[in-house]
Amino acid sequence: MSAELKELEGILNVTLPEKLIEDIEKVEEGHFNVLTTAKNAYELMKILREDAGIYHLSTVSGIEKEKEFNVCYHLQHRIEEEFREVPINLFVTNVDKGNPKTPSMVDFFVSADYYEREIYDFFGVYFENHPFLQRLILPEKWPDDVRPLRKEYGWEQIKEITMDIAKKTLEED
Amino acid sequence: MTGEFRSRFRTLVDGSDAPPDADHHIFIGPQHPWCEEPAHFIIHVKGERVVEADIRIGFNLRGIEKAMENKTWRQNTMLIPRACGICSAVHQNIYVRVVDRLAGVEDQISERARLIRMFSCEAERIHSHILWYGILAHDAGFDTMLHVSWRDREIIMDIVEDFSGNRVNPALMLPGGVKRDIPKEKADRAKPMLDELEKKVLYHKKVFTEEASIRNRLEDVGILTKEDAKKTTPNGPTGRGSGLPFDVRKAFPYELYDKIDWNLVYYNEGDILATTLVRLDETLESIQMCKQILDNLESTQGELLVRVKPRIPEGNYMSRAEAPRGEDLHFGVANGTDTPERYKIRAPSLGNIDATLKRMDGEYIADMPVILRSYDPCFSCTNRVMIINEKTGEKIIIDQDEFARKAIKAKKYNRSFF
Repeated sequence: MSAELKELEGILNVTLPEKLIEDIEKVEEGHFNVLTTAKNAYELMKILREDAGIYHLSTVSGIEKEKEFNVCYHLQHRIEEEFREVPINLFVTNVDKGNPKTPSMVDFFVSADYYEREIYDFFGVYFENHPFLQRLILPEKWPDDVRPLRKEYGWEQIKEITMDIAKKTLEED
Repeated sequence: MTGEFRSRFRTLVDGSDAPPDADHHIFIGPQHPWCEEPAHFIIHVKGERVVEADIRIGFNLRGIEKAMENKTWRQNTMLIPRACGICSAVHQNIYVRVVDRLAGVEDQISERARLIRMFSCEAERIHSHILWYGILAHDAGFDTMLHVSWRDREIIMDIVEDFSGNRVNPALMLPGGVKRDIPKEKADRAKPMLDELEKKVLYHKKVFTEEASIRNRLEDVGILTKEDAKKTTPNGPTGRGSGLPFDVRKAFPYELYDKIDWNLVYYNEGDILATTLVRLDETLESIQMCKQILDNLESTQGELLVRVKPRIPEGNYMSRAEAPRGEDLHFGVANGTDTPERYKIRAPSLGNIDATLKRMDGEYIADMPVILRSYDPCFSCTNRVMIINEKTGEKIIIDQDEFARKAIKAKKYNRSFF
């Protein structure tokens, strides 16, 4: 870990406190996976945004694992003189499955707003301090407790729910 | 930090969040070519000026990500190009690179296969950009340019059809390489066609830069400054028109983009003309790259396809490519079986919406068709616009042509829009 951490610190030109980071993987030349926990994510992102000056958030992905949720922020560190980007995937791990909560990064990136709402829609992960955590993509009549990208909902089940909504809408009209 | 900006996507159904100084609200949309694009735009105006614009999305959720978890990695190769109607090759390109990497065959892909993949992506960029500036000209009331550019676009469509059998969905790629070769006689047939296309695109560029009637509609309209661009994180030509010189092909080279000779295009003006010129110059660059690739194919030999086992070992990989509209990102998680654990697709248009809405602030309503078009949404048509007069409660529904016509008149004769 320490060699990769040194390399990343060299690229970003900041010191990343080791206690905030669970693990660092070097995927390939100039492409890093950084693992952290929900508790430390906000503080780490603050360093990345304000000290290292990363301003581009490509997207946010949600991943369902066996015992936990992961939320991954795909950041790009941009070096304008060399027209180069260093992709950094910041994984927020250990998000509890029973009560999924993780800090929102809206304070740092405007675009985190709608990407996080997408995760909230599809996985039901609750982003703390998000100013407007409401439905973004799913239809208005979609049942509130069904989070379609969770593994507990199969393909057939999702189809049934969709057909139900369509039928109800037809009846109402 | 983001205090002065807030992300849009926040309109409530009852309209209670409208800015207090707006007197009209214009609704545009929704449409549904694919996920992120079917959008419902809400434009709050005061007189002729836009106070604020907002958007609602999600009208055509097709659930491709969920569908992918239920199909094998190999079946998904043919599902993934359906993510987008027009940039199908680039989605497939990222997907096969994710699978190559996870399966560990990345280093075995031959140069010839990589060159064919690149050709497919560049040909797609050419026809997508030509399509876009044709429609832009149509929105600006210059229909001659639409017909001229779409006539010339047939040249590249014919080449794609000759090479792959399909016009817009070439589907040439597979994990481990490519499906079809580009034989020498086909390449020889394509080269003079590309020369001809280059001349035509140079003429298109001349029209856009020298013809006053179109230039006046685009110049100094919808300016997005570099500072605003950094905050709203646009990607692709939208960002490059505002002085953010980032193109994934240069920023994080994939395939053989670091081996062939090409220039990064970017402009600092930030108006709609700048994004148009970015796309025009990129079209010329792509034609030049296509020619280089066809030349290189003659001297490069190699296996077209290496075997990829159906079971993909555990791991995750994020990969990006420069789609015609901007940075396209895929994130795949494999769990050791033959189906993906999770597959995330972020198509470029979603990332560009915030910047485009920012462009609208304080602009004339007559410039809206052009600005809405600027980020190249896959909207097939901004079909219907409803205008509600708040005082009288009167509703007027006009179609896209009528909207464009009114906009042109208002701009040309300096008349009021309503």
